[in-house]
Amino acid sequence: MSSWLDYTINGLIVGNVYALVAVGLALIFGVSRLINFAQGSIYLVGAYIGWVAVVQLHTPLPLTIIFVAVVAALVGLIIERFGLRPLQNSVRIAPLLATIGISFVLDQLVMLTFSPNPRALPSQLPDVRFQVGGGTIGPLDLLIAGVGITSALSLFVFLRYSKLGWAVRAASQDRDAAMQMGVDVNRVNQAVFGIAAALGGVSGLLVGMYYNQIDTAMSLQATLKGVVAEVVGGAGNVPGAVVGSLLLGLVESYGVAVFGTSYRNLFAFLLLVVVLVLRPNGLFASARQAPPEPLTGTFIAPSRPVRIPRWALLVAVAVFAILPLLPVSFYVLQTLINAWLLGMLALSLTLVAGTIGQVSLGHAALLAIGAYTSALLSLTFSVPVGLAIIAGGLMSAALGTILISPSFRLRGHYVSIATLAIGEIVSLVILNWESVTRGPIGISGIPPLSLFGYDLISASSVYWFSFVVMVVLALLQARLLSSHLGRSFRAIRDDDIAARAYGLSLNRYKSLAFIFGGFAAGVSGGIAAHLYSYINHETFNTQQSILALTVVILGGLGNVLGAVVGSVALVGLPELFRVAAEYRILIYGIVLLLLVRFRPQGLLGTI
Amino acid sequence: MSNINRRTLVKGSLAAAIAGTALSRAAFADTAEPILLGVSGPLTGPNAQYGTQWKQGFDLALDEILAAGGINGRKLAYSFEDSQSDPRQSVAIAQKFVSDPRIVLELGDFSSPASMAASPIYQRAGLVQFGFTNSHPDFTKGGDFMWSTSVSQADEQPLLAAYAVKKLGLKKLAVLHLNTDWGRTSRDYFVNAAKEYGAEIAVTEGYIAEERDFRSTLVRVRDANPDGLVLISYYSDGALIARQARQVGLKQVICAASSVYSPKFLELGGDAVEDVHVGTRYFPEDPRPEVQKFITGFKKKYNGLEPDAFNTYAYDAMNMAAAVVKIGGTDRRAIRDAFAKVKDVPSVIFGRATFDVATRRVKGAMNAELVVRKGHFALWDGKPT
Repeated sequence: MSSWLDYTINGLIVGNVYALVAVGLALIFGVSRLINFAQGSIYLVGAYIGWVAVVQLHTPLPLTIIFVAVVAALVGLIIERFGLRPLQNSVRIAPLLATIGISFVLDQLVMLTFSPNPRALPSQLPDVRFQVGGGTIGPLDLLIAGVGITSALSLFVFLRYSKLGWAVRAASQDRDAAMQMGVDVNRVNQAVFGIAAALGGVSGLLVGMYYNQIDTAMSLQATLKGVVAEVVGGAGNVPGAVVGSLLLGLVESYGVAVFGTSYRNLFAFLLLVVVLVLRPNGLFASARQAPPEPLTGTFIAPSRPVRIPRWALLVAVAVFAILPLLPVSFYVLQTLINAWLLGMLALSLTLVAGTIGQVSLGHAALLAIGAYTSALLSLTFSVPVGLAIIAGGLMSAALGTILISPSFRLRGHYVSIATLAIGEIVSLVILNWESVTRGPIGISGIPPLSLFGYDLISASSVYWFSFVVMVVLALLQARLLSSHLGRSFRAIRDDDIAARAYGLSLNRYKSLAFIFGGFAAGVSGGIAAHLYSYINHETFNTQQSILALTVVILGGLGNVLGAVVGSVALVGLPELFRVAAEYRILIYGIVLLLLVRFRPQGLLGTI
Repeated sequence: MSNINRRTLVKGSLAAAIAGTALSRAAFADTAEPILLGVSGPLTGPNAQYGTQWKQGFDLALDEILAAGGINGRKLAYSFEDSQSDPRQSVAIAQKFVSDPRIVLELGDFSSPASMAASPIYQRAGLVQFGFTNSHPDFTKGGDFMWSTSVSQADEQPLLAAYAVKKLGLKKLAVLHLNTDWGRTSRDYFVNAAKEYGAEIAVTEGYIAEERDFRSTLVRVRDANPDGLVLISYYSDGALIARQARQVGLKQVICAASSVYSPKFLELGGDAVEDVHVGTRYFPEDPRPEVQKFITGFKKKYNGLEPDAFNTYAYDAMNMAAAVVKIGGTDRRAIRDAFAKVKDVPSVIFGRATFDVATRRVKGAMNAELVVRKGHFALWDGKPT
């Protein structure tokens, strides 16, 4: 029984840690309706600035905290001024993508400055422990709790009772109306970003001290957990973020208690999905809160899609089709194979995110389902590879649609967060379901691609195979979009209330889109499995989902050709910058930011 | 195979010509040009730290090889391509390397998915993929061009089990392991050996690499009431677990796999890793000349920095590659065959390394039994803690 007390205390302690990130996220969401994926990077910056202060400058703790807060706030102000403010009037999803680009840039800058080796960040508090239950609590635990709760409370008071706080809330309710009432929305945004960044920086410092360890990979995990905690509490609700964090900590701790350590994150993401299904706006959403806006639809920038003449397309297809006959290196072919595989995933995503407006951040899960299905069928049951890949596509279509269906009733950012969670859940199930998926050992010895009994092992044949599959899927999708069905999809995206009034069943159409999209993604995963011959739960990860979303936005939401062009560009860019080695992710991040800034509707425009 | 090989070369050369690189120099092995090895590994992304450590080990080995006259008078160099340890990128890099006629041998990749996804390409093109952190049991089964100096866990874990059970007398163990292919394989070898030596395994807990909080896991460990904790971890997570174990009041003896052997383990773990027992493949105070030469050279080159396990693997791998190229020349096939011919290559990890042709791995890693005393790794003096 005493163990349960310990699990509870541990859950609250780690919940505390999550709260530090979640509060900053909630504040920014409250004002800009933006999930700031760069918050984890500011946390990272804070941790390293803290390291400089503690280890090199030997500042006392209060000074360390002030120093970190000031520098982090400055970073936040710069992000707001140069990264996000220029995007105010562009597609709603542009700022989200910009924060992803900013996080690449920040993470990489920290890595280049400090090297990727982890460092010790010694705690500046006395190392005494108080016995509680079977475990102990130290002063740092209390400081973290103090900072988390105090900042949440003071932010709550600030938002509710101060004039600037009112302005913040007014701006978050209705930007234009607030501006008409004389609120300087830009100043409000600056203030909020500064505060949130200062908080993020300090949280990196404290968490680094807590673990006596900081490393450059800590930012993505922090963002993920922070986002989960924030959404559980009700996005934009500052006290809710604290409660959500504590709840998340507790659920994880109890999950470990009952099922063991390897299930820990599974429970975190299940909690998120359950909360979203039962209370789509989070636990603490007030009834009066304005309904979340769809990410696409009415917010799609008025853009005229670039019309590529049919003959040009035919020429392009012909050139790519005969490429292996020309003297190009296998490296170029392999890079293009990667682009075609990513292209299939992007087709899938551009359909669900662009055409029907369900922005998915967990699309890699569909790849994984297709890959595992195809690999296991061909290995265990000796199903011919061609059939196994089709089966993989069908399985992704079926299972993916069922898994994602709880998110159909969600709107706006909640869809993307729910799909993010579902992506993580699929990956964790693969890790833990050892009897089927072989768990962490992964599946090796997957037979190579073959067609009618002939093995396709040369780069040229794999190239042709994936190219033809992608072209066929693209043509089918183009046909789909120009049909009655495609128009219904876009009607749902543009105005789901009007579409429903017109008699369209939203869930059925969303399911149809996911079935078609799931198939394309599953086929892509299946081909990848046979190409790599070895897969494990990490092969298809969140980064892959984010990459797919980037491709889709870059190409133009809902634009079939855009998905393909975007894939070639985003597979090609890092390869082009390969010579730059350590700098290439930095360059990639900057290119992404510039694209979002100057061409938010995508290269080829939204359809 | 030779057919494909020739085709690869022709295609690669044409591409090189198109790309504007000097074809003639590459084709007619100019002796002034260094012999080039390809490295596929992480320089950015979550595993970036290991790529950085590889470079340090490689560069030291290359300095020494050059000082000793190079490879039959020619310089040895490497071209490091950043894969982020991502299979999509490692396959593209593999195509790049196999179609670049200057590359005679490939080193890496870091993780199993990234390495094994690229294996079929190296195998078909007939370029040796020389993995030195690839302990996945299936890595060298990818074909006869896959070779590895990564210590087989079947070799190492029983030694750790013997240290824990026989020497330290721990009869009831809790095992915490990284839930990856490496951690799982290691855990199974460890558990089997420990049981064989008469120990009881009270609980095993697998955790994912990104995990930072182990308090609840440690409560489970406490409830199982073991008399020793075994960590199959890397240094960063190993240090975290040790710290949190002491914080939640666990006082049991802690034993850890050699992968925690790093000055960083001491730095990150602080007081909490005092008295932690580590079975390791080498030890700086080991008087063997290979070890002493490596440690002195490393500290001299990197301003007093202490080398760790991943520096050592890279250093050994580069020396092994040099020994192989010395025998095999610059022909890719001959290099593959040379792996079976090299004998007793001086190595920090193995002493004198020779490949077992059947498994294409090296057997017989050295083992030193260490304990952390006063913030330093020291040879265990036989006293229980």
